[in-house]
Amino acid sequence: MADTSLLQGLPASALRSAAPLLLVLLGECLTQRVGRINLGVEGQMLVGAVAGYGVTALSGEPWLGMAAGAAAAALLSAVYALLTVAARADQFASGLAVWMLGLGASAYAGSGLVGLRIEGFAVGAAGLTPTLWLAVALVPLVALWLYGTRTGLAWRAVGESPGAARAAGITPWRVIVAGIAAGGLLSGLGGAALSIDHTRSWAEGMTAGRGLTAVGLVIVARWNPWLTLPAALLFGLAEALSLRLQAGGSAVPAHLLHTLPYIASLAVFAVTCARLEGGGGPAALRAVFAR
Amino acid sequence: MNGTQLQRAGLAIAAFAALAGGFFGLIGRGPLEMLQAIVMAAAGSRYAVGESLLRATPILLCALATLVPARLGLVSVGAEGQLYFGALVGTGALLLAPAPSLQLPVVLLGGLVGGAVWALLPALLRVVADVNETISTLMLNYVASLLVTWLVYGPWKSPQSQGWPASIEFPDSARLPLLGDSRVHAGLLVALVMGIVLHLLFTRSRWGLVLDVLRSNPRLAPLAGLSIARQVLLTMAIGGALAGLAGIAETASVQGRLQAAFANGAGLSGFLVAWLAGSRVLPAMALALLVGGLLAAGDGLQMMTSVPSSAVLVVQGLMFVALLGAGGWRSEVARG
Repeated sequence: MADTSLLQGLPASALRSAAPLLLVLLGECLTQRVGRINLGVEGQMLVGAVAGYGVTALSGEPWLGMAAGAAAAALLSAVYALLTVAARADQFASGLAVWMLGLGASAYAGSGLVGLRIEGFAVGAAGLTPTLWLAVALVPLVALWLYGTRTGLAWRAVGESPGAARAAGITPWRVIVAGIAAGGLLSGLGGAALSIDHTRSWAEGMTAGRGLTAVGLVIVARWNPWLTLPAALLFGLAEALSLRLQAGGSAVPAHLLHTLPYIASLAVFAVTCARLEGGGGPAALRAVFAR
Repeated sequence: MNGTQLQRAGLAIAAFAALAGGFFGLIGRGPLEMLQAIVMAAAGSRYAVGESLLRATPILLCALATLVPARLGLVSVGAEGQLYFGALVGTGALLLAPAPSLQLPVVLLGGLVGGAVWALLPALLRVVADVNETISTLMLNYVASLLVTWLVYGPWKSPQSQGWPASIEFPDSARLPLLGDSRVHAGLLVALVMGIVLHLLFTRSRWGLVLDVLRSNPRLAPLAGLSIARQVLLTMAIGGALAGLAGIAETASVQGRLQAAFANGAGLSGFLVAWLAGSRVLPAMALALLVGGLLAAGDGLQMMTSVPSSAVLVVQGLMFVALLGAGGWRSEVARG
């Protein structure tokens, strides 16, 4: 196998693979910043993917599909907000319940969409599409907002210490709900980008752990929106490489190669955990993990 | 059950009935008629009860797999991966083909060891490098599932399966005995016995006390001469072995061969069951039966009313939401 064919266009394919994940990562980054860890993003992505795909197929308008995906996932994230904020239920368990709900609801709603074809976005230079630009443009926007504005400061304060934030005149539960909703919107955009743009198809459970990987990669990115870009690229690169090797007739079978993104993410996660000893995260979030 | 618990159970049931009823109304089905159909499909006949118990078995084992590390305060979401890897190693043991009389013990042992090994990976990462076990077990789930997919599409694909990706069929000598004339296998009994043994260990033994102490105050460990690391490895390995048993029992005795993506979210349901039960064994058993019944009803419903089984996944999700929302199912044991 020639190395040149393996590497040709690899950066572009890595970017394409990374774009949906980057959107989800940014959302989960904001959610974790306000002190919540939402495993439900996997289900939210699925709901976003199915709503986005369905609306695009009906209307022929991919941007309308993206909006529908974001709205549907935000709606599902409201369930997580109700459970963890209003009912004070456990975060991990609530996330898994939301995941299950999203898995079932998307499979039910999507049964008529399997095999349906859509137009999707126009493809630009190097096969790059608008969802990639959207994802990449959101990185500095989110980062500058989080680090440079008063509301961004309020969000970080709630994630560090809800008590101190309350003393400073912030209403923590409102900020937490907003953080969960932001995560919902962005995970829906990510799911819709996956089905409308990346695969251009809908299949049951098609996110295949991307949402959960995002939960882990936020920690790899040290809850820093700027670092979500390299974290997403790491996953994208591993995925693009596994697809490449497969197409290039690699001796290593495809299913084995597909483990690469997970193993790479886990390896980086393990190394960062070992080096930083779990520090650096929002204090209210650390309390969830602390034992 | 005291007054508050009763109140909360009532609240959960009312919330669930409202949510599920609303969902059935939304998809254009009579809510009462559907709830009735679910109860009938889960417990309306001997066959239905058998199917419910069959579906409850891996969920109960996965709940126990979550619950044992949770007694130490660990949040392991890895039962699904351990289930896959147990099935993988157990099937591998069969392929090495010992004499028929040895097949069942070797296959079962493979399941137990496989599950334990897959749980020891995140446990070691936790002990050696302080890697959070929740995240690592989540990612390892996908790796284990993909490894099984690779094997059944590739090296282990049976030539007799006519293109369908699956391993060779397990011979009768490698299957767990069935209970009566049902499809329920002895794995259910093993799960129940293990549950009772664990319950007694947690509530009556010195080990149970050690786990309670370490969970509520890890800093006491060195003073009391206790090793957290050893307990992390031990609880994760025991949990993993139980999930591995679920995997190999499902593979050998229910499906009869190793197939891709056969777990159907048993690990996920098991985690929620363990969590809602507040990491206590007896409530986990009751909840596992309830979820098993709901899943079995899903299969029955699809045949009887042409409602797709994904609708039952939604109902299951709604049930967990109602239980979590009503609260009070977590005891003080849940987490320190």
